[in-house]
Amino acid sequence: MDPVKITIDGKEVVTTKGKTVIQAAAEIGVAIPHYCYHPKLSIAGNCRMCLVEIEKMPKLQIACNTQVAEGMGVLTQSPKVLAVRKSVLEFLLINHPVDCPICDQAGECMLQNYYMEHDRQESRFDVGKVHDRKKTIFGPNVIFDGERCIKCTRCVRFCQEITKTDELTVVDRGDHSTIALFPDTLLDNPLSANVVDICPVGALTDRDFRFKVRVWYLEKTPSICPGCSTGCNISVETYQNRIARFKPRVNEAVNSHWICDEGRYCFHDLTDGQRLTTPLIRQEGGLVPVTWEQALQVAGAGLKSTGSSAAILSGRNTNEEAYLFAKLAKRISSRCELEVFYQERALTEVQKILMSPDRSPNFRGAREMGVSSNSGFDPLMKKIIAGGFSAAYVVGEDLITTSSEPDIVRAALQKLSFLVVQDTRLTETAKLAHVVLPATHFGEKEGTYTNRKGRVQKINPALIAPDGALQDSDIFLRLLDYTGETQIYFTPAEIFAALARDIPSYHGIEYELIGDQGIELGSGSAGIT
Amino acid sequence: MEKLLLRNIGIPDSHMLATYESRGGYRSWRKVVETMKPEQLIDEVKASGLRGRGGAGFPTGMKWSFVPKDNPKPKYLVCNADESEPGTFKDRLLIEQDPHALIEGTLIAAYAIQSHAAFIYIRGELAFGANRLHRAVDEAYRAGFVGKNIFGSGYDLELIVHRGAGAYICGEETALLSSLEGGRGWPKVKPPFPATHGLFGCPTVVNNVETLAVLPWIIERGPAAYAAMGTEKSKGTKLFSVSGHIARPGVYELEMGYPFKKFLEEDCGGVPGGKKLKGVIPGGGSMPILRPEEIEKVNLDYESVQAAGSLLGSGGVIVMDETTCMVQAAWNIARFYAHESCGQCSPCREGCHWMEKIFHGIEHGKGEKADLDLILNISGNIMGNTICPFGDAAAMPAAAFIKKYRDEFEAHIAEKRCTVRH
Repeated sequence: MDPVKITIDGKEVVTTKGKTVIQAAAEIGVAIPHYCYHPKLSIAGNCRMCLVEIEKMPKLQIACNTQVAEGMGVLTQSPKVLAVRKSVLEFLLINHPVDCPICDQAGECMLQNYYMEHDRQESRFDVGKVHDRKKTIFGPNVIFDGERCIKCTRCVRFCQEITKTDELTVVDRGDHSTIALFPDTLLDNPLSANVVDICPVGALTDRDFRFKVRVWYLEKTPSICPGCSTGCNISVETYQNRIARFKPRVNEAVNSHWICDEGRYCFHDLTDGQRLTTPLIRQEGGLVPVTWEQALQVAGAGLKSTGSSAAILSGRNTNEEAYLFAKLAKRISSRCELEVFYQERALTEVQKILMSPDRSPNFRGAREMGVSSNSGFDPLMKKIIAGGFSAAYVVGEDLITTSSEPDIVRAALQKLSFLVVQDTRLTETAKLAHVVLPATHFGEKEGTYTNRKGRVQKINPALIAPDGALQDSDIFLRLLDYTGETQIYFTPAEIFAALARDIPSYHGIEYELIGDQGIELGSGSAGIT
Repeated sequence: MEKLLLRNIGIPDSHMLATYESRGGYRSWRKVVETMKPEQLIDEVKASGLRGRGGAGFPTGMKWSFVPKDNPKPKYLVCNADESEPGTFKDRLLIEQDPHALIEGTLIAAYAIQSHAAFIYIRGELAFGANRLHRAVDEAYRAGFVGKNIFGSGYDLELIVHRGAGAYICGEETALLSSLEGGRGWPKVKPPFPATHGLFGCPTVVNNVETLAVLPWIIERGPAAYAAMGTEKSKGTKLFSVSGHIARPGVYELEMGYPFKKFLEEDCGGVPGGKKLKGVIPGGGSMPILRPEEIEKVNLDYESVQAAGSLLGSGGVIVMDETTCMVQAAWNIARFYAHESCGQCSPCREGCHWMEKIFHGIEHGKGEKADLDLILNISGNIMGNTICPFGDAAAMPAAAFIKKYRDEFEAHIAEKRCTVRH
């Protein structure tokens, strides 16, 4: 890494050989406007928005493709540069429909933003705009508006270079150039919706999010995708206490700039539907509402009085919850076997770019907290099916619908003498329970997940839980109270501090320092990136 | 003057190998393979002063010397036979009438960079020329001039003729390479340059037909003989394609530095029908037009034409007499560039069509006074800001027509009709 000294707008900058001007400028906080440049894609150089003046060079140069050289003088605010930005924006806008009021991108559109920053002139174009297709379905998740497209080719390059699935290309020529699918192709690869995120304008929009809410009303909470144990960093974006969309958050140690489609839309399955807001207990063949005190007493007494029991925690429960759950299981009985839900499926090569084979974002963390039998989840399920337990405590997973043999699981659960189900909805499994405890989901929680590779990352509450439901950790704490082991901690931060003392691999990790990029297990607090 | 490039043109069966050989053909190639080292060959071409005839006039020997010798990748020589510049038809003549001169030159250039695969990328529309070229290449293979172990030297070279699909932009060397690779004919962002990252990412030299076709002569007669012709900086001879309002249109070979006015009036017979010259484009459709008074002292070499405010370019000379409507001419050229813009980068993709639409409006009586300055402004915003020289090629003529014939444009706008033809 040879150091190279350059000046940017007169300011001396020491950067490294091989960097481009746009990268060197970004390092010191100088944002050179651009459309086609993307740090994870090849250089296209087509938008011409990043043209800058390099001293001693007669022509303006694109900052995205100009490598730094010792003594180079870069001007990003010279009259020539400001003029060319204005002209490039004018070119990009002459055939643009300016249909911002009905465009989902409005509010986060780089045409709008750069127009305000660099252009601000009246249109000089009155000779007839080129028209293009306004709503071409590219795939299950992506729709294309050709008139808004600025032909930056980020989407084409994404499909060529990241997924290597090559669904998209440019067709036609000149101002009739447009993005198109290859014949008999759909943009349906497992990462397809990332093209919406990298589209700098409103050309590619998300069919799921489209027309749902103006983006400026969204509240954004940094969190971790609950879809699998890769632990992709996301922004949970909500409107009126509902999740409107997930967007990827950049974390080079985990997911770079991307998330998979399955993860992106998994919040529907995890949050849709009627919420449970009252604890239920089984009486005379039916489930009836009771108070939390009654429900916890029945649950606690029932679990303690059974012989052998299975305790199954969801893979979406946090480390803090798992830590409490493990403590609780020990208090229930010495014959309680506990496991974290874990199922694998086969992945294609493209899926493997980001996806893990499971759907349990915190299975590793849960295991490390002691939520682990010696056998694993599948053998535990087999034992349930074989009638090896008289009771079960199931948290946050519908064992029936997630099973490949739902009827067999249902029959096994029906034979249990006592079943406690703690979940957000009245699932098929919950319908068989003796006690149903209304809980919260990932979007309502604070805590940490440890991903497959051992990175501890923070999830944050993006939504307010409904009245009547309790946080899983609160339920565990209250059941621990019931079993006579009152804890002295209460908040996720306090629980984390306790588990970091207890669990060797978490020694030295401070909750406050996990930040929004996470910390590798074993690196203590030094792993902040 | 001795003809270098046109020496075989007009000879019966000039395209046949037997004819070509009977006139000394492939002797230079044999000499190169049997007696010359690549460095020596490059030095000779450098010494000849030969500059690329595709339009930019870059020194040919220097271009070859940019190819890295220690690069383990294959090296490619590509002949740009995608001649498409409006008003230019000199390469076509060579391809059709003297294909072996082109082949021999291509082989020599390939040897200079030690390439083992050379390509001739020929414009798709030149079907007749492509057929002749294919047959000539077959002849050369059969004669052992191309292929394995040429002249028993151990040097192998394959020669592939590739027909383009008919896009002007594929004459731009990096677009040509994209097209040859099987991709969309889009220019590549530079750097890196083809000398290090060309065809399929390998070191590549792209030379024009005319540049290559003169190499056998230079080898045969020596660089000094070539350098003895022309001016100080523009050596040798050059082909000019003359069209438009001229008594004797056609392809001419001139020593560099030949007086432009004398050429038009004496060699080409001047403007026919007693009409007056109104303007002339010296270097193909993308070069700025010159008014009659501007060519008085111009000589046909790179420096002199540039000093007059235009460029020698491809040597496509388009002559316009006083009956020409400059608005229509400008619109015609603007329409060509709007149609041929590849659409890759913003200023060219949008700007070429914008200018065309305004020219169209003026031509059809819908122009406004502000349009002229608007076009000048648009062309200025395209100029120098695009991926490839196409943007300049579209911007330069548009601006030149308005600047040099502004009164005619203004009259057209004011009267909402053509004031020249009606």
